[in-house]
Amino acid sequence: MKYQILIAGFGGQGVVFLVKVLSICAAKKGYKFLGTENHGMSQRGGSVSSHIKIGNFYNPLIDYGQADLLIGLDRDEAILNLPYLKKGGDLVVNASDFPKLEANEYIVDANQLAEDGLFDAKGLNVFMLGTVLKNVKNFPFSVEEIKEAIKEINPKFAKSNFEILEKALNYERN
Amino acid sequence: MKQTLMGNEAIAYGLLHANTQMISGYPGTPSSEILTTFEKISKNLPVYAKWATNEKVGFEVAYAGAIAGLNTAVTMKQVGLNVASDALMSASFIGNKGGFVLIVADDPGFHSSQTEQDSREFARFARIPVLDPATPAEAYEFAIKASELSQKFGIPVMLRSVMRVSHSREIVEVKDFNFEEKKGSFKRDIPRWAAVPRAGRLGQAYEREKKLKEIAKYSYENFIKPEIEKLKGTKNLIISSGAAFGYVKETLDELGLDIDVLKIDMPYPLPLDELKSLIKHYEKVLIIEETYPVIEEELRSENVYGKMSGDVHTIDEMTKERVLKALKNVGFYKGENIYKPAFENNFEVISRKPNLCSGCPHRDIFFAIKKVFRPKKSIYPSDIGCYTLGINQQAIDTVLCMGASVSMAHGFSIADNKKTVIATIGDSTFFHSGVAPLINAVYQKAKFILVILDNSTVAMTGRQATPERAAPGEVDLKKVVEGCGAEVMEYCYEPDIKKTIEFFKEVKKRYEEVEVPLVVISRQFCVLDKERAKENLKGVFATVDEEKCVACDVCTTQFVCPPMAYNEKGKIEIDPLLCVGCGVCISGICPTDAFIRRDK
Ligand code: SF4
Ligand code: SF4
Repeated sequence: MKYQILIAGFGGQGVVFLVKVLSICAAKKGYKFLGTENHGMSQRGGSVSSHIKIGNFYNPLIDYGQADLLIGLDRDEAILNLPYLKKGGDLVVNASDFPKLEANEYIVDANQLAEDGLFDAKGLNVFMLGTVLKNVKNFPFSVEEIKEAIKEINPKFAKSNFEILEKALNYERN
Repeated sequence: MKQTLMGNEAIAYGLLHANTQMISGYPGTPSSEILTTFEKISKNLPVYAKWATNEKVGFEVAYAGAIAGLNTAVTMKQVGLNVASDALMSASFIGNKGGFVLIVADDPGFHSSQTEQDSREFARFARIPVLDPATPAEAYEFAIKASELSQKFGIPVMLRSVMRVSHSREIVEVKDFNFEEKKGSFKRDIPRWAAVPRAGRLGQAYEREKKLKEIAKYSYENFIKPEIEKLKGTKNLIISSGAAFGYVKETLDELGLDIDVLKIDMPYPLPLDELKSLIKHYEKVLIIEETYPVIEEELRSENVYGKMSGDVHTIDEMTKERVLKALKNVGFYKGENIYKPAFENNFEVISRKPNLCSGCPHRDIFFAIKKVFRPKKSIYPSDIGCYTLGINQQAIDTVLCMGASVSMAHGFSIADNKKTVIATIGDSTFFHSGVAPLINAVYQKAKFILVILDNSTVAMTGRQATPERAAPGEVDLKKVVEGCGAEVMEYCYEPDIKKTIEFFKEVKKRYEEVEVPLVVISRQFCVLDKERAKENLKGVFATVDEEKCVACDVCTTQFVCPPMAYNEKGKIEIDPLLCVGCGVCISGICPTDAFIRRDK
């Protein structure tokens, strides 16, 4: 299997946490993978894009036109990273509107939902991961596998993270 | 046991595996997690794992350990090696008894550094062997190898990582090992450890030449020959090393090209005779390495192509597209560029710039400094750390390297003495490299203001402890500054801009009276520092009275707190998800008092 995921957001949104979750999931399934993340300057609110490549890869960076899935924790950051997505790929973005593309788009205004109190804004990353689980057909991991990884990283916050995950899974757009 | 590890964590495991008993260093992205992880996994073992005040100090502490027979290591980022280079140059002549691993993490692509230097070049300059891992799993292996080689040949060995290795994740097979405590014992050997020029050093220099030849031979037998044996004898050859290898391998796979690739694990010293005779068998040899042409310079010959022949890009991080272009340039590939974006991206958005965190006290200090010491009449030298982001407030005129704010302030005060020079530096950076230039400035009676932004943490790299924080009551910033002979004023930060401005007005007054540098110690906190932030963030959240906002730009250009942005109506709006409730904007940054308290 080969599957490449790009996660785009800005510092403070928990991009690195998602890379950790996905790497652990891959490892548990026995998939070879390489993932990369930015630390430092970009963490101070600046653009952060992290890549994870599952399968027989030798370097962690995704090139243009190669990503199977783009997870955008922020609309503009997703747009900036569009060149990496392949035609017909999956796109899960936190936005109130998004340009129509030749891709499978799942747009959810998670910022608004957090503001409305559906979940704590700190869990935006987990909510978006739930949205991925719910909508992306060939996403390589199941809800259970993701939960296990979350628990492994931090058992203390696992429960509240699971709740957010469930909210995303049950969320129906009207 | 299989573990999912980041490159830096893998290096820490490797070091422990190699029985490393002392590790020192100075934090710097992308290297910081090596020491932090080592500290964590060696918790119950008799090891020394501590941050040093700077890279040179860290180098020397760990190096002494290796002279006394222990296996030791020092970690830093590439610019840190510039600071430690003085010690490195000598250590390379003198050598060591225990294994001494110098770990340097480079930052191709300038992700969080002021330069993009290639530390392999430094290894070559200092004449020490360097290992260049391509992935986290390899970083683990190479950390062990580096320590073993250093013991075997009695010379410092560099382990050079890059951001895409240090901050990548992979499954790493961590082998079982038994940590054995050794007792260090220094054996007096004056001609070796205290060799003076010319007699002592000259001898060591010849000895080192000999060693390097042996190491090159070792590298051939153990690293290179097995790889050469695997080559198929295609028409052309690619030589690569470290992370660059990963890009090459993938590109060739994806383009379906069958070209021999030789991966070099130790880019210096190279077995030149053997490699040169290998090269002769190929029509063309393309060298792809990151960042400088280190191997290429060593192997230069007519059929060798790379950066020096203009076929490989010379600045910025590697990408597969860049590898593909190089392949095209030398005629190894004639097809399509498969790494083109699938979507035309003509949507206008701006990339987010890094910014001081919401609620960060540095922002207030910069705001107040500019209010009191107007830009037209002042010069603002600054330094390396989070506060470098004060650039967003245009409150910084120069950034050079660690500690340079102090010496440059001195220089500006002489060169342009009509202006007030008011420099900013963090506490950790001050301890790192600010003390010596302050002493220099005091005895030469320079006149400038130095503001030490003391939040007692190395915030930028992940909140490592500073000397004051690690040993409360022992290292005292104020006493250090007084001991240097400077005038001192202390400010206890309050989230009230009026008070901060008032304080700097007093600074201005006092400055008129003094004849030596005036140092302001601003006692603050870091909002990411959970211990201290809680009591300092008052939970006063802001919103904007749209009637009052006249779009004067003060908050978006002078204060620049992340939640503030113009909305469609041309008024400032505060993103409630980003506001941390420090209440500073309400305390008086807006000329029309448009910021008001938001009821939750
Ligand atoms: S990490 Fe700390 S010091 Fe750095 S910008 Fe944020 S609050 Fe300020
Ligand atoms: S209260 Fe004002 S200054 Fe403080 S974080 Fe919120 S917007 Fe920024």
